[in-house]
Parts: sequence; C-alpha cells; structure tokens
Amino acid sequence: MAHFTRRQFLKISGATAGVAAVAGAVPGLTRRSSTIEAATPQFQTSGEDVIVPTVCLLCPSGCGMLARVADGRVVKMEGSPMHPINLGALCPKGQASLELLYNPDRLKNPLRRSGERGSGQWREITWDEAITEVAQRLNDLRQAGHPEQAALLYGETRGQLRSFFDRFMQAVGSPNAISKDSLNVEAAKLATYYTQGIYNFPNYDLENSNYILSFGANLLEAGPWVQRTVAGQSYMRRGRATRGKIVVIDPRQGITGAKADEWIPIVPGTDAALALGMAHVLIKAGLIDFEFVHEYGFGFEDFSTDGVKHKGFKNFVLENYDPRKVEKITGVPATTISRLTGEFAKNQPGVAMLAGKGGMLNGSIGGLYAGMAVHMLNALVGNIDKPGGVQTQRYMPCTSWPELSSDPVAEAGRQQQRLDGAGSEYPLARHAYQAVADHVLNGASVDTLFLTGANPVFEAPGGQRFIDAFSKIPFIVSFASFMDDSAQYADLVLPEPTFLERWQDDHIEGIGYPGIALRQPVIEPLYNTMNTADFFLRVAQTMGGPVAAAFPWGSYEEVLQYRLQNIGTDWDTLKELGVWMVPGYHPARRGNERWVQEVVGSDRLSAPRDGRFDFYARELSCALDALSPEQLAALGLSVTGDAVYLPHYEAPPYQGDANDYPLHLNVITLMSLGPVSAAANMPTLMEISGMTVGETWRGWVEMNPETARKHFLQKDDEVVVESPFGRVQTRLKIVPGLRPDTVNMPYNFGHTAGGRYAKNRGANGLTVMSGQTEPATGLAAFTNTRVRVRKA
Amino acid sequence: MPKWSMVIDLEKCVACQACSIACRFENNTPVVSPELAWEGREMRWNDVFPAPHEESGDYPNTKTHYLTRPCMHCENPPCIKVCPVQATFIDEEGLVRQNYARCIGCRYCTVACPYGVRYFNWFAPEFESPLEQHLNPDKIEGRGDLEGPAVRPKGVVEKCTYCVHRLRKAHARAEAEGRDFRPDEYMPACVQTCTGKARFFGDMNDPDSTVSRLAESDRAFRLLEEVGTHPKTIYLQEGK
Repeated sequence: MAHFTRRQFLKISGATAGVAAVAGAVPGLTRRSSTIEAATPQFQTSGEDVIVPTVCLLCPSGCGMLARVADGRVVKMEGSPMHPINLGALCPKGQASLELLYNPDRLKNPLRRSGERGSGQWREITWDEAITEVAQRLNDLRQAGHPEQAALLYGETRGQLRSFFDRFMQAVGSPNAISKDSLNVEAAKLATYYTQGIYNFPNYDLENSNYILSFGANLLEAGPWVQRTVAGQSYMRRGRATRGKIVVIDPRQGITGAKADEWIPIVPGTDAALALGMAHVLIKAGLIDFEFVHEYGFGFEDFSTDGVKHKGFKNFVLENYDPRKVEKITGVPATTISRLTGEFAKNQPGVAMLAGKGGMLNGSIGGLYAGMAVHMLNALVGNIDKPGGVQTQRYMPCTSWPELSSDPVAEAGRQQQRLDGAGSEYPLARHAYQAVADHVLNGASVDTLFLTGANPVFEAPGGQRFIDAFSKIPFIVSFASFMDDSAQYADLVLPEPTFLERWQDDHIEGIGYPGIALRQPVIEPLYNTMNTADFFLRVAQTMGGPVAAAFPWGSYEEVLQYRLQNIGTDWDTLKELGVWMVPGYHPARRGNERWVQEVVGSDRLSAPRDGRFDFYARELSCALDALSPEQLAALGLSVTGDAVYLPHYEAPPYQGDANDYPLHLNVITLMSLGPVSAAANMPTLMEISGMTVGETWRGWVEMNPETARKHFLQKDDEVVVESPFGRVQTRLKIVPGLRPDTVNMPYNFGHTAGGRYAKNRGANGLTVMSGQTEPATGLAAFTNTRVRVRKA
Repeated sequence: MPKWSMVIDLEKCVACQACSIACRFENNTPVVSPELAWEGREMRWNDVFPAPHEESGDYPNTKTHYLTRPCMHCENPPCIKVCPVQATFIDEEGLVRQNYARCIGCRYCTVACPYGVRYFNWFAPEFESPLEQHLNPDKIEGRGDLEGPAVRPKGVVEKCTYCVHRLRKAHARAEAEGRDFRPDEYMPACVQTCTGKARFFGDMNDPDSTVSRLAESDRAFRLLEEVGTHPKTIYLQEGK
C-alpha cells in the first residue's frame, strides 16, 4: 500500500466498492478524536472512503460519475475521467444529484390510493400486494382477450431499458409501449431517417470541425448531449491551433448565442427556408461535393422512374429558394445568407446541426422538412461520415433477447392499433406520447396505464388534459421517486430508487464509437423502493404462462449481465470501471459494405437500402404516395407532387390570431433545471435557475426591451401570459438578446406537485400551449402557440 | 513553497454554474430559503452572473458577457487589514483563509472586499433532513482553527478557500505513502468539475506550470487591477 497513484487509488476503491477502507489504512486520513488540543492543525476526514463509478440521469448526456461514499453516506459526485462524454467534468445537475438522493420528499413505500383520485389520500401497501394486484389485472386483461388495453408511457429509458419495456408489453400482448420522444428529439430523428436512412440523432465531430451552423441546437444549455457539445465547443475554441467559428441560428440568443461568434435571430419556424436558401447558394456557386451528390445521393438531379418524370432537389431549390426570397421569409438578409454559406463551404469540415430539445424546429410537418433541409446541408458538402462532419452512432453488440414463445392472445393483442395513433392516424410517427390523452378522451379504451419516467401532466404541451384523460382510465400505476404532477392522480404509486441506487446500463451516445456505461447502487437503497424493471420481472413471473417464460431472469442485474455478455469485458470489470468502450471512430469508405450497413440507409423500412443519401425522400414517398391530395392537405401539406418528398418551407400553422396574440411563446430548457421534471425538487438547482436574468426560485418570462416598452412593461412586473388555451402569471425579465416577436419561459417551473421545493414555484408555460399533435409526424406542437403578455 | 493560483479562460467558460455547485457540495454551503435568496443572500463562494454594465448594443447587435467569480486570493488582501481579530489571514502558500473560531462577525471584511466574495451567516445553516447526509465530512481542526467544509455556525463570515482541505488531504496522502507532495495532486472542486475545461490551477512559483504560462498571455487580466489587490485568480479575456 506504500506507493500508489491517484489513478490506482480510484481503481482500487472502485473495485472493492462497499468493502474496502482505503482511506482508513492511511494514517493521517483517519478519524481522530479530541484533536482540538493538538499542536498543529489537524486534517480530519471520514473513517472509510470509497469511490463508486456510476452514470448520471439528470439529462440525456449520461455523464460518467464517481461517487465518494464516506462512512456509508454519499458526500460528493465528481465527473468520471474515463467516461468519453464528460472526461471528468460534471455540470451543476450532476453535482447536485445528492439532493435527489437525500431529498426529504422521497417516496418511501408503495402507496395505494385510499380516497378519491387526486385527493392525496394514500395507504401504504407491501410490494407483494402491488405485484399481485398488477399481475392479476394484466392476467384478467389477457383472459378477456384485450391485452392491448394495457399501456406504458415511458420517458428517458437508457441502455437495455427501452427494449426491456417493449418486450414486457409485447409478452403481455400490447403494442402500447409509448416513448416521450415525440416531445423532443423525434423531429431530428425523423429528419435523419428520411434523408440519411438512419433512425437516430446524428453525431457531430465538433473537435475536428471548423464551422458550426447551429439551427436551434442549444449547444451550451440543453440538447441530446449537452456536455458533449460544451466540450466540443471548448476544444474548437482553445483546445487546438485553429479556432473554429460558431454561428447560432435561433430566435433567442441565450448563453449559446452569447458565446458564439455570430447570432442570427431568425423568424421562428422558418429554419427550413434558411437552410434551403443556403443550399441554393451552395448549388449555384458550385460549392457542393459533386461526387457525393451524384454517386452517393439520390434525387439531386431530375430523374424519371417508369417513364414518370420527377423533379430533383437541385432544380427544386434553384427555382424556389433564391436568398432574396428567403430573406423575406426568415428575416435574415440575403447577403448574410450568402456570406454564411460561403464561409460554411470554404471552412470544411463543418456541420449544420439539428436541434434536439430546446430548438424551434418542432411543431408542424414543417419541422420535419426543416430538419431534412438542415441535414442535407451536410450532405451537399459531402461531410457524411467524415472527420469533422456527421458521424453515425455505433452501438455495442448486445445479446439478442430470446424468442417469445407462441402465445395467440399476445399475438392478437400486438396487432391492434396503437393507443397513440403512431403509424395509423399519424402515418410517419413512431411515438405520439402527448396524443394519448386525446385518444383516451375520444373513447379509446385503456384499462391499465403504467407511467415510468413519465410525467405527462407536466411535461406535455397542454398537459392538463391528461388529468381528464386519467379519469377515464380505471387503473393507473406510476413509478416515481416523488409524488409528481401525474403520480398524484394514480391508483398505485410505486417508489423507484433514484439513479444512484439502482442497476441500469447506458449506451454511450454522442461520441460515435460504441460504449457501455453502468449505473450501480452506490449505496444500499435508502427506502423500501424497487427498480421498475425488477417490478416488471416479478409481475411477469407472478403472471405465469408465456409472460413468465419470456422473463427467465432473477433480477434486472441478471438481465444486464445477459444482454452485455458479449461486449468484450466481464461484469466485474464493468462494475469496477463503470464504462467500457471501443474507442476510436472509424469513418466508413463511401459506398463500401460498412457504409451501406452502418452509415446510409440501413434503417429504411421500404425504400432501397442502397447506401444513397436521399435528397428526394424515397422513404417518405413510400409512406405517403397512396394518399390523395385532400389527405395530404389534411396532414398540413400545402404542396402536392414531388414537392411533398423534397424538403420545403411550410408556414407554421399558428394557434391564436396574430393581432390578438402577437408573440411567439418559446419554452426553453435551462442548463440548471434541465429536462427531468424531478430536478425541480432539488433546492440548489432552483436557487441557481435564473442566473441569466437575475432571478431565483421562481419562473419568469423573457422579453425584448423594445417590446416591453411598447407594452408599457418594466423589469420584474407581474405579468399574465395568455393564449387561446389558457393563462399563467409570472414575472417579466428584459432580455436584449431576443427577437421582439418572441417571449421565452423556462421549463421546469410551475409544478403542482413533486415536493416542497418544486411545488407552486413560478409558472409552467406548457399549460398555455396548444395540446395539438402534428398530424403527419405525431410530434407535439411545441412552437406554434402565440401569446400576449399584459400586466397582471 | 508553492504559491497557488487559478486561471479562468472566459472564452471557454459556458456559464453552466458547475463550479458554483461543485463548491457547494465540497464545502457544505447551505441552500438559503427563497425569501433570503430574493434578498440576494445566497451562499455560493463561487458565483456566476452576467457581467454588470457589459451588456452592450441594441438588438440584434447585443451580447451578454458572463463572469464566474471565486475568491481572488489577493496578494495584498484588503479583508485582512480590516479584520480586528486576525480571523482572516494569508498563509505562506498564498491562500487567504478564514478562521471561523476567531471570527466575531463584525463584517468589516465583507465591506472591505472589492469583489464581494465574503459571505456572512445571518442564520445558522439548515439542511432539511435527510439532506444533511450529503455533507462533506472533511474538516481542519486544531489550535483554535476551524476551517474547511465543516458547517459554519451563525454569525461568522465564510469564503472560498481554494479548497484548502483538499491540499491538506493531498499532503496527508503523500505523507502516508512516504513520498513528496506534488503540486498537481491538488486542485479545488470547481477546477475539477469545469464542463468547458476553462479553469486551470497550479503553482505560480513554478515558471513552467500551466498557470504561470497562461498568466503571461496577452489575454490575461485581473479583476479591478487598479485597486492594487494583486489577485491570484487571473482571467483570460473572451473573444481575442
């Protein structure tokens, strides 16, 4: 023990998590008593210090963490230097995660409703009662021949959890495992799917990139991998010899725009026009990668199939998106469009980045086209799967789930239409989370609803209609660590351990190459909680029959061991290191086997998987070709013919008359409170939430100074934000870096439940939003609500 | 004898506030009630905020600059001169420290400090149970000293220590392992967590250390240089 480095120290302590008393073996680090009288100042610490690796779950970055466990208490979180996303860094949410673990409002025992729905009366039950009740309920549904009446709404599901939930619902016999992707990243995923043929969010190799065109991608505050983009921008700026340029295209400046080289305050919802205007300049000036667009692209030039002539991307853009015309739509001067496009093309590799959560792309079918148009800029300059360009996320090979045994009841149930209308009512949708409420209110029958990581009452636009929908559902089970806005209307509330107390893996995403990170209980769970996956395992085993046969594992830890047995390491090493990866991203050679299998086209369901990047979306053509012009118009399309399959600008279908409601409402995600609704109950995060505007503990609405002057409003005025769908009261903040026609409200304020620090603090801007679902893609309409603001 | 210094590159800083919160959990600064927070009485030894008077230009040619502010650990600290009981002092390694056991709560130092980085405990810190479980157990005691993360009582002034207990801990570990202490074994919590890798820490007496080299940069500046405090927290200017 005489000589070891810090690195070894961390390793040793990780390897022997929960057992070794590393510090205890070191004199001078041990606990002493009555040292006040000692001759020299004496450093004191815990008797036993153990470092346990785990992974954060307070945003989708999934940063590796090292938990310092001192005498059985978790006292500090640090970023794990070995995790490729954060490389030792950790944001304020991760640092404050101990306030989630040791929160005074944690749920401690399973609860069954004892009064009216929402009355807040509960009685404690045992886990066995809960398991028996749920298993009985699901078995009854199966016996009645209606297993599809069970539905599961899930939020952030990491690693194996999504496929685990899907498998459970399939085994029961329901197609209704519904993700809340439609609230955030789905627009970007679909845009990548209909162009590149990969159903995933693209990765961007920022470290090797010279130029970033960020279309609402909030690099420094929120996004699918915000820590990854923070690190990338930091490296681009000062980590290397040449400094990259960052251009932020967003109605709101925010921290990302303030730190960028240039901020382009675009008219909300017009990103498609701007991207196509840029494509126009690229094509006209000959700045495109001719080899790529012709050899590895489809539909760039006009083409004909079976004697029918089709318009290609090139002529479509040249005819319709002259920068002078685009200027009128976007408010971005034509000269600026030309200059930025020239810079982008001449400073390759560079990337045009899609927004995840926090952008203004979502909201209509125009959001899908905007995403496609933005992503095509990358293809036009040929930087798909190139260093400094767009990468495709590769994954660790997981052992396949065993085949489900033959089960006629489940097979019939799985054939039923989905509750959210994805794939039927919304033809392009994979998930339409927020539409569940509307379908239930319109008479869709649901018997049993599971909510896990899902708080639809709070987090869906117009989410309050879920309360009415819940009243039509006989049995609701919520898995939550806190009595949140949705759980309070449930029949069973089952306490979930926080992410620091449970087993869960993580596919490392955002870095391109494959990796697995592991959450493990850093201490014994504090309360009588059960990992949601373990609950479903035990329900399956209690149900018996084919459902039990589908889940032959004793615990979720065993499930993970099964699924991760072939990733190239053993379980103990994974536990010790917390992360295992195959570092190094190797771009595929254009057109070769890996290109076709991994980079372009491999996720396409109907269109050819020929390794060609679609400038003319063949997959979209397969999905929509059979529709009549009336049906297309009903999907929100103003065009017919080839234009439907080419990215184009669709004016957003705004809710609220422009004269009565002159302002666009944009709900922004903050670095501090993040996208996870439980984070609102962490007092430290509440305290630092309003740093940019000098506010704390309560929400606000941001307004341009000129707009405020016109409305006779001043800083800190109490104001009412009103839309055709409702009103909320909050405080006004004056923000110069914001378009005069847009107001921002921060997300994660205005909870009606969820704990003492979250409840009744500020206002939730989502409650005044239209609850509509975009008719083609099933996306929530986040950005097409207009509001007015007046003094309260 | 090392002289500790911190360099913050404002170009790489993304105003995420991780430094503030890493500091809170390392040094056990309490969350104050919303009412006190509205009065500006938050206890964050390292605060992040939009730089005052620097928001310039009209829309759309406007830009906000953000500043992150730990203690400057001045070489000529005004806070020491006004302390009537020598509760605050500068040690041989250049750290400006606070002996809570001596502090009488007169708050002269909070007035004298031109940077506003001294925080007074108007009330005894409260941690609603079981939040107190996460408190860092590290502390420094002896000879009347009471420093480091140990929760402070009501009526004393507290401040950033560059995580002096981490320095002590690193020394103790080196001693236990029978070897010399190396300056790179010690860094404050804010430096370790920085998401933009904007913070650097090290020995200013070593001409080859990162901080020494960065301090020579033409981007380097110190806050309120003109008042003659000679801060050892050095900033690198944005956008140059």
